[in-house]
Amino acid sequence: MAAPGPARLLRAAAASSRRWLFSASPAAGTRPGCGSAAAAVRAARLFSLSARAVLSSEDKITVHFINRDGDKLTAKGKPGDSLLDVVVDNNLDIDGFGACEGTLACSTCHLIFEDHIFEKLDAITDEEMDMLDLAYGLTETSRLGCQICLKKSMDDMTVRVPEAVADARQSVDMSKNS
Amino acid sequence: MSFFTRVLTMKCKQALESERTYFYHAIFVSRFHQLPKLSSSQSLEVQNNSPAAAENKGEEMVADSGRAGELLKPTPHQLGRVKSLQEMPGPNTLYNLYEFFWKDGFGRIHEIQQKHTQEYGKIFKSHFGPQFVVSIADREMVAQVLRAEGRAPQRANMESWQEYRDLRGRAMGLISAEGEQWLKMRSVLRQKILKPKDVAVYSKGVNEVITDLIKRIHTLRSQEDDGETVTNVNNLFFKYSMEGVATILYECRLGCLENNVPQQTVEYIEALELMFSMFKTTMYAGAIPKWLRPLIPKPWREFCRSWDGLFKFSQIHVDNKLKAIQSQLDQGEVVNGGLLTYLLVSKELTLEEIYANMTEMLLAGVDTTSFTLSWATYLLAKHPEVQQRVYEEIVNKLGKDQVPVAHDVPKLPLIRAVLKETLRLYPVLPGNGRVTQKDLIIGGYLIPKGTQLALCHYTTSYSEENFSMANEFRPERWLRKDNLDRVDNFGSIPFGYGIRSCIGKRIAELEIHLALIQLLQNFEIKISSKTEPVNAKTHGLLTPGNSINVRFSDRK
Repeated sequence: MAAPGPARLLRAAAASSRRWLFSASPAAGTRPGCGSAAAAVRAARLFSLSARAVLSSEDKITVHFINRDGDKLTAKGKPGDSLLDVVVDNNLDIDGFGACEGTLACSTCHLIFEDHIFEKLDAITDEEMDMLDLAYGLTETSRLGCQICLKKSMDDMTVRVPEAVADARQSVDMSKNS
Repeated sequence: MSFFTRVLTMKCKQALESERTYFYHAIFVSRFHQLPKLSSSQSLEVQNNSPAAAENKGEEMVADSGRAGELLKPTPHQLGRVKSLQEMPGPNTLYNLYEFFWKDGFGRIHEIQQKHTQEYGKIFKSHFGPQFVVSIADREMVAQVLRAEGRAPQRANMESWQEYRDLRGRAMGLISAEGEQWLKMRSVLRQKILKPKDVAVYSKGVNEVITDLIKRIHTLRSQEDDGETVTNVNNLFFKYSMEGVATILYECRLGCLENNVPQQTVEYIEALELMFSMFKTTMYAGAIPKWLRPLIPKPWREFCRSWDGLFKFSQIHVDNKLKAIQSQLDQGEVVNGGLLTYLLVSKELTLEEIYANMTEMLLAGVDTTSFTLSWATYLLAKHPEVQQRVYEEIVNKLGKDQVPVAHDVPKLPLIRAVLKETLRLYPVLPGNGRVTQKDLIIGGYLIPKGTQLALCHYTTSYSEENFSMANEFRPERWLRKDNLDRVDNFGSIPFGYGIRSCIGKRIAELEIHLALIQLLQNFEIKISSKTEPVNAKTHGLLTPGNSINVRFSDRK
């Protein structure tokens, strides 16, 4: 059904073929924590593959990820992109990162921030706090990467990926202690 | 048989521990089931240099030399011996059969879970007919299992669901699908109904249903002698949840809460109530082996009939929407709408997949919400001091008459806490399942790939270790002192955790938060002379064992 008028339909339902990207319809709301600038960029990206090239490199923000093995991964993103977007868009090899695609159903995009950056991050929501409670290797400067959107002031920041989930032995230890 | 049964459950448990395990395994267990094949585990070679382990001759099951497996790298501080499933304690198969079929254990699954944990420890094995299950009743072990999940976790064997769908040429939905097919549908649906901000836009629609709920309470209580009591609140909340789900899933109203419900809707509601109640009893249809069906045909027949009814209901509403969209398009109008419109227009799912998901989401979204609201009402009536604090917070932070929307809820931490605490005490799903997708070492046991696990949420929710004064209703335990204060844990995860957690979580939260706020703004919920103590009973889900009757008194 509904084969005719794809443009009209797209406008109506704000269909997104890229599933991890959000749709901008009023019914769908906006991505948690991210501004509408990012929405526009993302919409543009949907329809134009060259959208990325249009943005000059100076608009980009550099982020360094310290991976579990201590390796440093450096990537760039645009203002308004979430840290999950940065990892996905740049195909950063962080095992199991962002399993629920930013829908606040897991805590696999848990990242640890530098103090001075952490203090200036946007307020945390109850839903993010609930999910952080279930994160492994939690610190006082932990947040979920899917909820943190890039700002110019974050340029060159370093975030740390927490240790991998407890291996079997540690869990055995923990269960003995509990 | 009774002798063996007794031996198994009697207090001589410890003395007989090892003999029993081996004896029963040899004599009975191996006849009635097959342990999951251990072949897959043989690839997992465990480094084990512990002298203590070496002394335990004859019990090793896993090769204890050679390379470290994926899961195990030796560390100097801990080199415990990995135990086999054979060594795992657990109730005897025959006793289990007796407990479940003779003593109606199905209605007490949640209590049996606790009893077995006390008797056998936090990890134990059971046999339910041909089904072998490892139960886990420890929050750290539950966390370990859920954190180890891959990209498409499997909940349980869904063969009977698959069989029905094959029989009728239907598609699988989120509950029944597995693997890549599941992942595809989940990826589409979660982007529309799982993010809190996407769900917040349903506030207006949900509030319209709540207005009808309040009106309905006025009508119902006026029919009682005291002018305040509403009997069997679950009946009321069933209609509220049904109406709420229809608003969100089908983008239409059914009129469930009207005083004069349209005849067609009456029939729907009755049919659906029957479907739901039959469904619970027929959930076990799949547990009856196929070859027994000619002898015991009823469960399977009813199972199919329930599904027919549920699918039919969804299909009517999906088709209605489809026609409406088509006619709008024909007239050159712009099509605007919510979830269903999006799904029909975007074509990311096939029409059959839409029917299947609408059906399964309907199934998952009505009883669950209504039971939780019923329990919350019961608990608030029983704890007037808690209710008063919640009400004061509403008055101070929101206002006596201000209609709440999603973004007001963060101002009312006690409302969120009431829901969390209600679900801790009465988790709709007292246990959840996972089929392991790789070899795991849990609680010191090697659990081979393909093992059915039961995560015992009911037991961990009532564990004093996880929650002090665990039997008490204390919503304050969930309040945070500040943003760095961690209160939650894997002891109570009523919606599950991770990529296969409840996709309706945020919708359910919205429906319950907003309803509770408005109920408390309008009424003081009190014990009535008709209020009886209500215990939980497992009937597929954890349900109120008898009717919850409370008074809804006007706020002064």
